[in-house]
Amino acid sequence: MGKEKEGRELIVSRQILSIPQHFSTGPVMGRFLAELRDNKRIMANKCPKCGRHQLPPREVCAICHVEATGWDELPPVGTIRDFDVIYYASPDPLTGETRQVPYVLCWVDLDGTQGDAPFWHLLDVDDLTKVRRGVRVRVVFADDRRGATEDIRHFEIIPDEPIEGGDAR
Amino acid sequence: MASRVAICAVAQTKFEANKWNLRMQGLLWEVVKGVREQTGLGFGKGGIDGAVTVSDDVFDARTISNGGITDVVGAHYGAEEKVAADGAQGVYYAAAQILSGHHEIVLLAGHCKESQAASRNMVTHLAFDPFYTRPVGLDYLAAAALQAQAYMARSGVTEIQLADVVARSRRWASLNPVAQLTAPAKREDILASPMVADPIRRDFMYPVSDGAIAMILANEQRARQITNTPVWIAGLGNCYDSFFLGERDLGGNFALECAAKRAYAMAGVANPEKAFDVAEIADQYAHQLPQYAEGLGLCKSGREWLESEGPDRQNVNRSGGMLAGNPLMLGGLARVAEAVIQLRGEAGERQVAEARRAVAQGATGPAGQLQTVVVLES
Amino acid sequence: MTKNRNVAIIGSGMSRFSSHREEVNQPEMIHEAVVEALQDAGVMLDDIDCVLHGNMELFEMVHQPDMWHVIGDGVWGKSGIRLTTGGTTGATLACAADNLVASGLHDAVLAIGFEKLQEGHTTGGITNMADPLWGRSLQTGALTGTGAQKIIDEFGVERARWAAMKYRTIMDEHAMRNPKAHRRLRLERRYIKETAENSPPLAGELRMIHMCSQSDGACAVVFASEEKVRQWKANPAWIVDHETVHREETMIFGSQKNTQRVAAERLFKRTGISNPRQEIDVLEMYDPSAWWGLDWLRDFLLLSGDEAIKMVENDEIAIDGAFPVNPSGGVIASNPIGATALVRVAEAAMQIRGTAGDHQVAKPVRRALASGFGGSLWTVLMLLSKEKPEQGAETHG
Repeated sequence: MGKEKEGRELIVSRQILSIPQHFSTGPVMGRFLAELRDNKRIMANKCPKCGRHQLPPREVCAICHVEATGWDELPPVGTIRDFDVIYYASPDPLTGETRQVPYVLCWVDLDGTQGDAPFWHLLDVDDLTKVRRGVRVRVVFADDRRGATEDIRHFEIIPDEPIEGGDAR
Repeated sequence: MASRVAICAVAQTKFEANKWNLRMQGLLWEVVKGVREQTGLGFGKGGIDGAVTVSDDVFDARTISNGGITDVVGAHYGAEEKVAADGAQGVYYAAAQILSGHHEIVLLAGHCKESQAASRNMVTHLAFDPFYTRPVGLDYLAAAALQAQAYMARSGVTEIQLADVVARSRRWASLNPVAQLTAPAKREDILASPMVADPIRRDFMYPVSDGAIAMILANEQRARQITNTPVWIAGLGNCYDSFFLGERDLGGNFALECAAKRAYAMAGVANPEKAFDVAEIADQYAHQLPQYAEGLGLCKSGREWLESEGPDRQNVNRSGGMLAGNPLMLGGLARVAEAVIQLRGEAGERQVAEARRAVAQGATGPAGQLQTVVVLES
Repeated sequence: MTKNRNVAIIGSGMSRFSSHREEVNQPEMIHEAVVEALQDAGVMLDDIDCVLHGNMELFEMVHQPDMWHVIGDGVWGKSGIRLTTGGTTGATLACAADNLVASGLHDAVLAIGFEKLQEGHTTGGITNMADPLWGRSLQTGALTGTGAQKIIDEFGVERARWAAMKYRTIMDEHAMRNPKAHRRLRLERRYIKETAENSPPLAGELRMIHMCSQSDGACAVVFASEEKVRQWKANPAWIVDHETVHREETMIFGSQKNTQRVAAERLFKRTGISNPRQEIDVLEMYDPSAWWGLDWLRDFLLLSGDEAIKMVENDEIAIDGAFPVNPSGGVIASNPIGATALVRVAEAAMQIRGTAGDHQVAKPVRRALASGFGGSLWTVLMLLSKEKPEQGAETHG
């Protein structure tokens, strides 16, 4: 009779850990979110030394090490600088929901932005071949806004506008 | 060893129960701006050449939370290293960076908002292992309560004495512009505060607190250029105890005695009972004041020490201590901050006359599992 | 400023890297690496006076894990510090160990990086890196196709795809020689084109096959002072210097140089290296994807144009090539995030010390370079050498 190999099932402890938070926004990010929620305005702040915009706004200019004190409203219109077509649906950390794939994230230079501060958000598009660098897009706001990323539903391509820079991609 | 390290500037926010109006970037900027204004230093060549930050991802509810403050600490295309422990550990590491020769001037910047999570106990509950100590319900408060039981049983320190520790904390805190709990408190009221985790009453615990602290450390040559009142780091020591509370001598001071011994050896301190003009102890809970005083060698018996006005004789916690309010990650750093302020003669109404040498202590982990001791001299 | 005193790596240990080390808990896994490191260094736990610890705790959701891990890492009664800088943590721990020993505060430091990714949700943990106030719900972990697109824009899709997959294949060839490696796929060169085109896409042209692993693992490295190296008759890999370069989280666009290049420029200037490709013998690079590996090879060696991509095309980066890259198999093969950057340092040291066994490079190694990556495209870069650095070498510049 052969010797039986003794196995033992390893216990695995399954837990879901969550700690409710309330995050302060502070006067800088707070203003950005409030303007979005209340007025559908996109506010960038500006460094008084180098003049570059920050979007979303930040307390300090990382290059000049001074407070970014100027504020400018930027139009909800701009040009795609770059984009990502996402095929792997990453779950939303709060809801666990996943988006339908593929979906597109884009970085948009809103008109009049000074310096490198492309605005990052989803792009709603049904034909991926339409997505290219240089395409003109506009913001679509959500109807119910609460001062959060979702106050902007997504960007959409402005129909019949020429591609800036005539980029092949 | 290389040249000495000095702390050249200190800035603290007012510690408050809920700094709802500032996010971490704003909180930290206040104190970074403060030390830069004090010293006139910029970032990069000739100025601050690196940052050591102190914060905790679980308290911040953000992975690599220091990723959000790169700009605030001048680390865009610069260096920043994060110490995820009590801020006194940040002092230790920043000093090492300078003593190694790798940096000349380091910005040390720490922040913590205990108010952000629904309960800080939910945060510290996660420090316990998922299989036994967590399901049993431990968090740092419960661990401190077990420590308090052990210490009070051994030392004979009474609840009344602890109430007096708290009342004293408020008296000194009222003279500290950044302190949180400054309203006078009467012994009876403190003793009547609800029991939270036997034998810890609500008023025996450090309050939920938010705040930030920044310092500038520099090597000797640069320190003398930056300030007329450098405060030298004369001694550093830290030490870990065991994890399982049952394996520890909870009423004793294994880790703290070890850390103190290391710091005192480096600083040449032979008799800690007499050596210091100022002592700052991170008393998260009132019983830790006499307990850690023993561990630091400030006294042999915490009970007798309290009975003989030891804290006043030895100028302990003129800041109000941690009982007056500092968030968990900054307790030790706030102690170092007060020591520096005292040694620079900038402590106003709570100034210890002719303060020349101080000891500051910070603790990390359950019931002070990791202890850090810093000896400072002017 | 000059470095106060010399520091060397005298030993290292790693747990086996795997997608799920379910038979060990966290301190047990760390213990494996610690025991191996001490044995490799030829020292006992008593010889260590400080233990450094780091990981990315939101993966496992253990707060201050260095408290619990005392039971596995030997820090009881010793000095210790916990440092956490995301993906670069392991390399930061190495820098910290170097600083702590150089400072004179400690003579022997044990640095430990670990991660047990299987115990949490990796992409979720990385997603939590994003600002909770803006963008967290958009973040897709570490997945982006922009790195690949950059190479494609420059070299055309065919050449780029082929080079990225060749790079990936060579990394696997190296991993096949490394018994500790997590993923060892036996990729074959004859399937490069097919795999490059058919592997499921994650984001843009970043495909599954290009992307790093999610691993469980721990790495422990012993750093010692010159005196201790002598006393213990150790086999040293000396730390020459290191550089850390961070980047503000939103400023990852535009024409600025990346942190990889800036770190390399600064480090080589300080250490007097003008031709890294000639003067350095091996690179252990933190390559989260084959595309980034391709891109940053150029930056770390201060190359331009297609010089780096040619190194891949011409097999120079292979283990028996002129400039081996990741003889360990790199991060695509094994990625226990909190340990990963420390593994790069350990592997670089192994190459110098001649202890890499089956994945020891063919050529003699005098200098090795190790990189860490993490955060918002941060870099930590460390240079090691077989020869002891001259005392009083310039460190701060």
